[in-house]
Amino acid sequence: MAKNLEKLGVTFETDVLIVGGGLAGNNAAIAALEKGARALIADKSSLYRCGAIAGGVDHFMAYLGTDTWDTQEAYLEWVGRIARGVVNLSVQNAVFCKELDAAIERMDRIGCTLKQPDGNFFRTQSLGQPGPYFINFNGKQLKPLLAKEALRLGAEVLEKCSISGLLTDGENVTGAVGFNIRNGNFYIIKAKAIVLATGNTNRLFENPSGLPFNTWQCPANTGAAQTMAYEVGAKLANMEFVRITVVPRGFSAAGLNALTGMGGKFVNASGEEFMSRYHPSGNRSPRYKLVEGVMKELYEGRGPVYIDCRHLSQSDLDHLKRTLGYDKDTLPDFIEQKGVDLGKDLLEIMPSEGMQAGPSEVCGSGILIDEKTASTAPGLFAAGDCADQMRCVHICTTGGYLAGKMAAEFAMGSGKEPKLRLPQIRELRKKAFAPMRTSGTISYRKVEDTLRKMLWQNAGPARNERSLQVALEKLEELSQCFKEIRAKNYHELMRVHETHQILEVAKMMCTAALARKETRFGVYHHRTDYPEVDEEYEGQIVLWKTEQGMKTSFKKLDYDKIPLS
Amino acid sequence: MPPVIDLQKCIGCGNCDRHCPLDVIHFDGVRNIPYVKYPDECWHCGSCRLDCPVEAITIRFGPEMLYL
Ligand SMILES: Cc1cc2nc3c(=O)[nH]c(=O)nc-3n(C[C@H](O)[C@H](O)[C@H](O)COP(=O)(O)OP(=O)(O)OC[C@H]3O[C@@H](n4cnc5c(N)ncnc54)[C@H](O)[C@@H]3O)c2cc1C
Ligand code: SF4
Ligand code: SF4
Repeated sequence: MAKNLEKLGVTFETDVLIVGGGLAGNNAAIAALEKGARALIADKSSLYRCGAIAGGVDHFMAYLGTDTWDTQEAYLEWVGRIARGVVNLSVQNAVFCKELDAAIERMDRIGCTLKQPDGNFFRTQSLGQPGPYFINFNGKQLKPLLAKEALRLGAEVLEKCSISGLLTDGENVTGAVGFNIRNGNFYIIKAKAIVLATGNTNRLFENPSGLPFNTWQCPANTGAAQTMAYEVGAKLANMEFVRITVVPRGFSAAGLNALTGMGGKFVNASGEEFMSRYHPSGNRSPRYKLVEGVMKELYEGRGPVYIDCRHLSQSDLDHLKRTLGYDKDTLPDFIEQKGVDLGKDLLEIMPSEGMQAGPSEVCGSGILIDEKTASTAPGLFAAGDCADQMRCVHICTTGGYLAGKMAAEFAMGSGKEPKLRLPQIRELRKKAFAPMRTSGTISYRKVEDTLRKMLWQNAGPARNERSLQVALEKLEELSQCFKEIRAKNYHELMRVHETHQILEVAKMMCTAALARKETRFGVYHHRTDYPEVDEEYEGQIVLWKTEQGMKTSFKKLDYDKIPLS
Repeated sequence: MPPVIDLQKCIGCGNCDRHCPLDVIHFDGVRNIPYVKYPDECWHCGSCRLDCPVEAITIRFGPEMLYL
């Protein structure tokens, strides 16, 4: 068996395999190693600078017990209100609240403190929060610091490795396969438990800038976990929402929270502060409301729209200028090269591209997890933006860590040696390299560009039963082109795999969107044929693979009781 | 637009090649210099610039982004 395996590829063995070494995956590795398990992290990039936080982040949501709005109860009450109909409070309590204190302490310990140099927290309020829940911090070196800690604890790392499929023995997951994106080495990894942590899905919708890699979230994240989990029968939830944000015109960059948190105002062509027309929280409204406001102003002819920071005090402007690059390293360069001075000029903004991600900062979209971060497939755990209850730095940090602990417990408790099946590995290997062998001539980029345009048209911020059905038909037709997509080298092979994942996620999104016959989170799921919020839909659309294709069901969620234990 | 690498300053450490999250920068082992192989796939994250020990990398945005 071992010899036969080695003929197929380079083999590895571990207790916990972590697919995706970004924020959640890196925290998972640290937890698994601290529990005494072996951990192997596989990532398409390097552990030092991979994923969404590669160039830095700047705010961490938390309650700190200083006031009545600043408690676990008040936080969960707000979460249940703002993410109603998608957030599972009992899971939130487990993946965030119970892990919060340890996470703040861990950030401090690895050298990425959440405190300012004077030892205090600098807190701001935005996105519909009842109080200043955001802690502003300097997260520029968070990724390399996390990487160092995982390596110090003994993590094994496979860099430039694109994972392409999961292995199962018919019951438990037993490992995964992937390939090196530079030299094409095929990797076979045997594992007792797996944490999937490959983030959300980008490059899914047409980009208003016309540049598909000019995305708000990381364009290397293309729904690998969602696709692979679906293949082995795990359930997914909250997949219907198209997340959009507001970005500087021309550059799909993070940084909105920094600007609005400091007091930036949204204004239209005539200088009117328009957000108060859309939501009582005005400039500090939830994100989906900000997007709706900006879109309406533009489409109804009151654009261009801007962020106005000219009224800020000199010290606030100085703070902003000093810290804006913490979130998106190159945003200050962009603003400067545009010739904009935030103290004197308006900054023009636009809606970003759409993506698959949680409809709120406090709830995710993706693989359905329980209080232990376990998916419905035995041995398979999910963390970070690919899990249905995690999103953003705060939950990816706390929940990633919990997933590592739980996976390590599962791996060490099972006592079972995973058994690999050679025919399964051969099949996945053949599939992985097929685009290098085809006689077809279509480029991945062509298929992706078509998909993005078509999906924005039919399943974007305005969708209805017919448009979603049309999208599904066209996605099926696009799937047929796959045999003809050619990869000229292993870098392109990675991109072809990503195109496949994007297409599979698009199918999940349209199927779930058809099942939710209401509108929720404004433009994030706007059914023009069901334009109102419907209380009947206070719960999740759950989807999974059957022999007859994709099935969905509805899971009601309870908001009567706030779990505090 | 992708980053611009000043080869006069570059000491060939390979950080930018290794760390780019999008596999945009590759290292030419023969000439011992990094080059931007997939300019259209740059995410403008700034990681290459952050980790360059000699500040050989600058980020310049193109007209397609600045004047949209
Ligand atoms: C510029 C920016 C700034 C942000 N700022 C903030 C902030 O200040 N506060 C906040 O709360 N949130 C912020 N966010 C959001 C937050 O960073 C993300 O929600 C979070 O980092 C996601 O963590 P993750 O581990 O799920 O994904 P990531 O950290 O993105 O990790 C996913 C990893 O999976 C890898 N991968 C993907 N597919 C495969 C595959 N097939 N095989 C192997 N590896 C694979 C990728 O290379 C990547 O490294 C920001 C996001 C961005 C992009
Ligand atoms: S800015 Fe980021 S994506 Fe672009 S080349 Fe540098 S490291 Fe790569
Ligand atoms: S990181 Fe800087 S010094 Fe190192 S190879 Fe790249 S450009 Fe040259």
